[in-house]
Amino acid sequence: MKKCDVICPFCGCLCDDLEITVEDNRILGVDNGCTLANAKFMGKERLTSPIRRTDGGWEDINYDEAIRYTVDMLLDADRPLLYGWSGTHGEAQCIGVHMCELVGGIIDSTTSVCHGPSILAIQEVGHPGCTLGQVKNRADVVIYWGCNPLEAHPRHMSRYTTYADGYFLDNAFRDRTVVVVDVRETETARVADEFVRIKQGGDYAVLSALRAIVRGKGDMIPPSVAGVPRSQLERIVRMCKDAKFGAVFFGLGLTMTKGKYKNIRNAIELVDELSRHTKFTITPMRGHWNVYGSNEVFTWMTGYPYAIDFCRGIAFYNPGETSAIDILARKECDACMIIGSDPGAHFPRKCVEHLADIPTVVIDPVPTMTTAMANVQIPVAVSGIDAEGTAYRMDGVPFRVKKVIEPTLPSDTEVLGDMFARMKEAKGL
Amino acid sequence: MKFILNTGRSITQGRHVEHKFHRGYSEETSTCFIHPLDLLDLDMEEGEHVEVTSECGSVVLRTVNCEDLRRGMIFVPMGPFANHIIPSHTHSTGMPDFKSIPVELEYTDAERSTQWDLMEKIGGQRYEKM
Ligand code: SF4
Repeated sequence: MKKCDVICPFCGCLCDDLEITVEDNRILGVDNGCTLANAKFMGKERLTSPIRRTDGGWEDINYDEAIRYTVDMLLDADRPLLYGWSGTHGEAQCIGVHMCELVGGIIDSTTSVCHGPSILAIQEVGHPGCTLGQVKNRADVVIYWGCNPLEAHPRHMSRYTTYADGYFLDNAFRDRTVVVVDVRETETARVADEFVRIKQGGDYAVLSALRAIVRGKGDMIPPSVAGVPRSQLERIVRMCKDAKFGAVFFGLGLTMTKGKYKNIRNAIELVDELSRHTKFTITPMRGHWNVYGSNEVFTWMTGYPYAIDFCRGIAFYNPGETSAIDILARKECDACMIIGSDPGAHFPRKCVEHLADIPTVVIDPVPTMTTAMANVQIPVAVSGIDAEGTAYRMDGVPFRVKKVIEPTLPSDTEVLGDMFARMKEAKGL
Repeated sequence: MKFILNTGRSITQGRHVEHKFHRGYSEETSTCFIHPLDLLDLDMEEGEHVEVTSECGSVVLRTVNCEDLRRGMIFVPMGPFANHIIPSHTHSTGMPDFKSIPVELEYTDAERSTQWDLMEKIGGQRYEKM
């Protein structure tokens, strides 16, 4: 049986046109998905039972034991960290915030190691954004800055930009100009109309130079800025000013390099400047399929988008102090629950080392690098495959991800709901 | 020789996100992409191993020629190998410097570790039942 209009729970594009062939509650094929979607839907190596670390190995335990272990761990801890959340649906994220408030812990999502700096910049100067549908139908100039969609969001260009038909564009492929700004000549750079290669760490200077040219102060610019000739910068500004609708997409090449959130602030201010001449928008290329959802859920529940500390009994937010990397590097937390992410693979070694020193529980369908650092791992159904819930696309549009097969394991919401009920009971609430 | 280490997504790394115990994940994330002329300067051939050292440790990687890079920069797909040598300070932003770490490269005949070896070195326990 073919299931149509299935949403892909891998990256922030949340493509909603996949066709999944299902037979006997097994997935046999994926149509329309990219190679990342195929790998996710066709993956067969899931854990089937919770596991507990023993001396030199692992043993299977049942759900009751695993949930009890986690509840005791969180209730006993003085400063528990509840991290991850980008690989699960909104309903589970909600329970996570309630649990965190109950134990006075810290809750943070993978945002702090992807677009956290973008949020800091948006809090300073606002976000002139739009939905991807607007970009698809209107944008005649698209700028990808510090991102490589062909490898990280493989269908972004075919669904929303370069190769997508647009309602207000006669021949979208010919009428759209694509500019790529990067330190590497990536696959994406090779298919662009214009590639701007900047020196590592030169983003802030190049953004400032573009702003100066837009303002008519181009004569102040030296002949080359961070390896980019002035003539190329002037050409790009002309192209942008002539555009009917411009869209900037940016990735971790801006958020992770020198300058961090100041780079993003500068990019937003460039978009602001260009919008005095034409219409321009800017959108972060969110990585995990529901990382944006974690920011939405945390914000509507606590007032803050990530890195929230409840130890004072109220929500407190100070990235750099209350963000997961800093908490772990300072060896501040004394227990950690990780759901829907893999800090074992993606955090600096010093942070991962601390996970081995404290009780750690991982809630994830498959063994990951973080499994190695866990005391207990609880496998769950995969949202979008055998569990359903709400997710937010990179432009902030919410979707309901559906299940395509019947679950054999509990969902994140069920496991967390059970934990939260037991925690409330233990606290007499 | 001194280089700047850049890390990020690659499509092979992405395909293995939920299959991290596979050899392919270890292979991809322990690859050091480097400009061919830089490799020549190091007096090395593609495929030979380098020891990459930052202020907080070192790791052995396999070299692969890559002309997409400017000279003086190496690229390692994000994962446990790159993170083995990435410092944890965040300049009070919550975000470490994942993309511009000064490193030193030197030829080595040592073997690469596997992803599980690295985790065990820092107190983890491999899970290899799959
Ligand atoms: S681009 Fe992203 S959401 Fe779309 S199919 Fe590929 S991985 Fe899935």
